[in-house]
Amino acid sequence: MSTRRFVQTQGPIGEFSALPLLQRAEARDLLCAGYGLLIVALVLASYLMGALGWLPHDPREMNVGLINAAPLTPGHLLGTDFLGRDLQARLILGIQAYFLPGLLAIAIAVVGGSVLGVLAGYRGGWVAAIITYFDNLLDSFPRLVLILLVIAAFKADIYAIMIVVGITGMPETANLIAGKIAFLKQKNFIEAAHALGLPAHTVILKHILWLNCRAVLVIQATLGMAEAILVETSLSYLGFGVQEPTPSWGNMVQAGANYFLQGNFWPSTAPALLILATILGFQLLGDGLNNMLEGKRRRS
Amino acid sequence: MKLSAILPVARVLRRELAVTALLLLGVSMVVFAVLYLAPGDPLNVLLEGQSPRAQTAAREAMGVPHTWYARYGAWLSKVLQGNFGNSVRTGLPVLPELARVGVNTLVLTLGSLFLTLLIAVPIAVHAAVNGDTPGNTAATVAAYVLSAVPVFWFGYIVVYVFIHQFGMFPLLSGTAAKQPHAWLYFLVPIFVLGTASGTLSELIRHLREELSRVLSEDYIRTARAKGAPVWRHAFKEGFLIPVTEIMSAKIPFLLGGAVIVEQVFNWPGMGRMAWQAAQDRDFPVIMGVALVAAAFVRTGNLLQRVIFTMVNPRASKQ
Repeated sequence: MSTRRFVQTQGPIGEFSALPLLQRAEARDLLCAGYGLLIVALVLASYLMGALGWLPHDPREMNVGLINAAPLTPGHLLGTDFLGRDLQARLILGIQAYFLPGLLAIAIAVVGGSVLGVLAGYRGGWVAAIITYFDNLLDSFPRLVLILLVIAAFKADIYAIMIVVGITGMPETANLIAGKIAFLKQKNFIEAAHALGLPAHTVILKHILWLNCRAVLVIQATLGMAEAILVETSLSYLGFGVQEPTPSWGNMVQAGANYFLQGNFWPSTAPALLILATILGFQLLGDGLNNMLEGKRRRS
Repeated sequence: MKLSAILPVARVLRRELAVTALLLLGVSMVVFAVLYLAPGDPLNVLLEGQSPRAQTAAREAMGVPHTWYARYGAWLSKVLQGNFGNSVRTGLPVLPELARVGVNTLVLTLGSLFLTLLIAVPIAVHAAVNGDTPGNTAATVAAYVLSAVPVFWFGYIVVYVFIHQFGMFPLLSGTAAKQPHAWLYFLVPIFVLGTASGTLSELIRHLREELSRVLSEDYIRTARAKGAPVWRHAFKEGFLIPVTEIMSAKIPFLLGGAVIVEQVFNWPGMGRMAWQAAQDRDFPVIMGVALVAAAFVRTGNLLQRVIFTMVNPRASKQ
């Protein structure tokens, strides 16, 4: 059984600082979070562009005379792919492949994880034991192998796959919440709230989740999105999930592979760099927020 | 070894073996449940168009149990006897095939884990001992970026470099295995998985945090003041425990990464097998892969727990 169950986390309680967050934070964390926010904004804007159809070019229009064109070709800012389709438009449209499915995955992970975490931390006892078992059970499967199993069984589409991703993401959130509650229980306010006669749902929803756990949940959601993008691009690279001609960053890398080995790097590299920049952005945002809001880094 | 040193390990081993058995039972239930709920099985195709009664009769004649628990029991007892069924695609028994490719995957993942250690440990230890220096900050940033690189694209870069710089194609299949220096090909996928799988940055971060925490503890300060070797005191808690923790926690990720790396390099391992099985809806094969992969994960976890108890016998009394 893994050893990281219910570790106490340092929280904002008891170490309040008078300085506002932005002045208190270390420059490195601000830099990470700032880069992450920039990426989130770009992803959001590009998603809306794709959803509303504001594309620089028709992503399906082929141009046999202009195959694998380099970036900055007139009319094609980022060049074209192996069928002469505009890369920029396809890259923007590729966000559709993971954006909503990713939101589904993090919604499941955060909501489900909160429920389990509250049950384990608040109730304790055999509920906690069952949740630890469930957690270890999910940890036993390599995620990609579990997903391939589900694909084999149900010919699953990307939303079904993201439900699996969300479920496998639940235990981590649950552990963090349970650890947080174990820590908060040492403070007297939960007891005080009970003594005041506040109903359990008020204590859980307001005093525990909203006032003390929202930072953890936002961080988990951010890291969960990085995970979802990784899974979606890996699967569409492997030929599952989104299929040609619908673009996804993963299947674009795959489609450009043959030309890559002949020395024509760009059609494969452009989506790969976007995967890199985006996953890094979500991860750094999560880590930066974690350091700033949860005070994980000790300064001694 | 004194008896007092073995007892806690034996106690934990007994408990952890029971937990592992319970978890593997759960794993088998999950795997069975997923495929039980799957629409359609090979018999459906065979019996298509027959009346429900005829279908039931045919199933009975073939000895397929009705209820899910009877089916689960029959399947589990076969699996426990080492009968994983036959592949739908090739018709061959699954288990020998799994054993053959499982070794390849084990070589790939353990090799890459070793490589990750070789890279991560010096960076993390240097950073924990000396604090932030430009050198180790640069190395940490590079490791972070490398960990977010899509492993498949990184694989192409390496393949390209091999073709154009060394004039050889680093794939294990076909004639390549007979070329001179064929063993070198083994190292290429290991290198790719070891550097770009995401384990690198997590190992650096965790080891660095834990080691610098331990190094600032009172007992280390005392050791320093006495002139005792600091390393001997910090090694177990500050190095061995965090490293084994991350290694065991990362085995599932490495096995997942192996699916992709094996695809890129045509490495004949479990990952490729799982990929093929998912394409073909080859239930016995994908079941076998999932069970064996989970068994790998659980074994790694068991080893980690044993090491943890040997280092910290108090943990056995929890």
